[in-house]
Amino acid sequence: MTEAIVLKRKRGPAAILQALVPYLLAVIAAFAAVGVLLALLGFDVLRAYSTILFTSFRTTNGFIQTLIKWTPLVLQALAFTIPLAAGKFNIGGEGQLIVGGIGAAAVGILLAGLPLPILLPSVLLAGTLFGALWVLGPAWLLYRFGINEILTTVLMNFVAFELIDFTATKIWPDPAAGHPTTVPIGEGGYLPLLLSHPPLHSGLLIAVLVAILVYFYTDHTSAGYELVATGANPRASSVYGVNVRRMFLLSLLLGGAIAGLSGAIEVAGVHHRLIEGMQSNFLLLGIIIGLIAKGNNLAVPFVALFIAILEVGASALQRTMMIPGEMVFIVEALILIFVLLSDVVRRR
Amino acid sequence: MNQTPILHVEGINKRFGAVQALKDVDLSLQSSEIHGLLGGNGAGKTTLMNVVYGLYKPDSGQIFLRGRPVTINSPRDAIAHGIGMVHQHFLQINTYTVTENIVLGTPIPHRPTMDLTQARDKIRALSDRFGLEIDPEAHIEDLPMGARQRVEILKALYRGVDILILDEPTTNLTPQEVDSLFESLKLMVAEGMSVVFITHKLREVMSVCDTISVLREGRRLLTAPRSELSEEEIVRTMVGSEEALEDSMLFSEQRRDEEAGIVREEIVLDVSDMRIADENGVLVDDLSLSVRAGEILGIAGVAGNGQQELAEGILGIRPLSRGRVRIGDRDVTGLGTRQILHLGVAYVPEDRLQDGFLPTASVAQNLILGAQRRTPYSSARGVLNRRAITETAVALIQRFHIRTQGPEDMAATLSGGNIQRMMLARAFAHPVRLLILHNPTSGLDIPSVEFVYDLLLSHKREGTATLLISDDLDELMLLSDRIATLYRGRIVGVLERSAFDKYTIGRMMSGVEAHD
Repeated sequence: MTEAIVLKRKRGPAAILQALVPYLLAVIAAFAAVGVLLALLGFDVLRAYSTILFTSFRTTNGFIQTLIKWTPLVLQALAFTIPLAAGKFNIGGEGQLIVGGIGAAAVGILLAGLPLPILLPSVLLAGTLFGALWVLGPAWLLYRFGINEILTTVLMNFVAFELIDFTATKIWPDPAAGHPTTVPIGEGGYLPLLLSHPPLHSGLLIAVLVAILVYFYTDHTSAGYELVATGANPRASSVYGVNVRRMFLLSLLLGGAIAGLSGAIEVAGVHHRLIEGMQSNFLLLGIIIGLIAKGNNLAVPFVALFIAILEVGASALQRTMMIPGEMVFIVEALILIFVLLSDVVRRR
Repeated sequence: MNQTPILHVEGINKRFGAVQALKDVDLSLQSSEIHGLLGGNGAGKTTLMNVVYGLYKPDSGQIFLRGRPVTINSPRDAIAHGIGMVHQHFLQINTYTVTENIVLGTPIPHRPTMDLTQARDKIRALSDRFGLEIDPEAHIEDLPMGARQRVEILKALYRGVDILILDEPTTNLTPQEVDSLFESLKLMVAEGMSVVFITHKLREVMSVCDTISVLREGRRLLTAPRSELSEEEIVRTMVGSEEALEDSMLFSEQRRDEEAGIVREEIVLDVSDMRIADENGVLVDDLSLSVRAGEILGIAGVAGNGQQELAEGILGIRPLSRGRVRIGDRDVTGLGTRQILHLGVAYVPEDRLQDGFLPTASVAQNLILGAQRRTPYSSARGVLNRRAITETAVALIQRFHIRTQGPEDMAATLSGGNIQRMMLARAFAHPVRLLILHNPTSGLDIPSVEFVYDLLLSHKREGTATLLISDDLDELMLLSDRIATLYRGRIVGVLERSAFDKYTIGRMMSGVEAHD
């Protein structure tokens, strides 16, 4: 009681740098492990490293590709981290992306003749609403009966796979395509380009805006405070007047809406139509990004950028060195494992 | 005293960040003694024993067992050396039986069939031998706190330890359970075991310990046989202040009435005919009470007789099956907890870990829990004012002596007593009409208890109504204007201050109605 209380704030560049050290070590360790693997397989390790890390920065095209990749990744990660803040796991991001994409495509095809100021917002809004709608079932089951959201959100993904197949082969199939694909949406639904050579669509700006809004919401508003409090201790939060079941519901709906928006951006910005498989492995990468960021919504965009760089590097690896792109997936997984491991080590 | 101590630690140092938790501590435990380790919060009692139990690695120092130096790297090592420890909060598997919990982690002879007959017999034998009454077939979730603690002690005995460390073992126990625990401890040392008893409660060490050591701020300041120590000497060492202890409320039998002020006419809390029932049955029934401005109404009762449910019913955390709750002139029945809190109600729940804090949030965030939508923490549009939050937190940390590195520190790093201080700071941070406090001083050291009592009385003087639920009869009798005793969710009787009597209340606590 007699000792003076030290009051200090852990802020400033030194603290940030200190927080980054374990990440840096995790990245180095992951690259080292994969380096060993590549060497054993007889590849040029240093060239592989430089391909993975620097493809994004060597050419304008590489950098644009990275930004295009970043857009769905950061949105998928946020679709995961918002419910995570409330202590809930949304593993249905790809289903929500697909259904959001279907909603966007439906509006874009059915109202194809409308001009851009009307059609584009409608397309994006439809995607957002459809994504939220897709998670409404699991969210309501959780709210009403306490049914585990991990199971229900995962299962909804499988329904979405069938739904996109049905849409792309039965409702609006494009007979000219060799792959289940719909006909294109109206040109008024295209996201305007920021750059035309190489093309960079304005979905990037939407993603930046969403990332800023989410960070502001979770870290600077009383509603966000309640979300985080719910995740930290739902019981204590309810004792102090937070309606935690409503927070669960709300957080999942927000996550679904953002995932749906990412689907709409893929349709309106990248493909201009619905393509089966367009969800890529964004869900898994989104979860990895969210977990590496440890749910910190300020860190998510930066982690997403790093993962986007690796992903672009992966395609280049496959193209130029005939190394399977999955090798990069191993790097990403290892980074996550080492980051988690560094927590365990630090607790000792 | 001349024989080799069974356990001896020498020159133990341990630092956590900026805090030197242990400074060059020596301590000797003789065989067949109960050694009381006394000290306030953060004195280093638990840290020292966690070092002995292998949970923390000391920065320097040596542990000797029966005169031989040993290295203990983990609880597994400790148990192999015959050292067992029962923590304040135990980890048990609720859906397993007592036997299953105890054998978990030991070699099981019939692993494929999980035939635990032998283990059960051994547990029965241990339980008979030391008076640790338990049903080996019972499931943990059905057991009261006292029995769960006996399970924890049996866990250690089952593994054959001869040194048993108990960390604040009486915190969650009723007076009867405390008595039976002490009987068991005496039986253990009579058979040659040694017990280290960590506590901050003076009366307990005086009643059961053979030797007493006092720690303060990471140093051991005193070790002596109980017979050579006076209460005052111990308290002086614990508190470390030279000021006159005669002024302390804790040593006075009576509350000084000029400090307490008067009870006013205005009724602040009025509960009528409350009934709370859930799938576990009826928890509160036929309960009516009222608290006036400037009044402290004490609620006595053995833990688990509806105290928590009563508080949660008033606050809207639990739905009422029947009855009404009024605060001031407003009927709040069915209102949400947030609205009720915003009427000027503050609550300190009993279970601080489950109900009272956000472990992964910062101390500052914890301190505004429940007030996050009020000015100045939040604007009318719901944007947080970080600066106001930090400023409030800094002020509260200083005023309530919360030991932390600062407002941005993670709450999970706080000790139990500091979490309690944090909850109290939160409750007293805003003007309050009605205080609902459940065991508000649990885990606090003497100066902090004193501080809380002062605060309660000064609020009382200013007209705050207080519902004080406590397992500590001394506390209730010291502070309350009236005491209502709960038994199985009903009020058995209400005593006026002039009629307070420990034995009368004790009888009511076991369900016997008062006859006068």
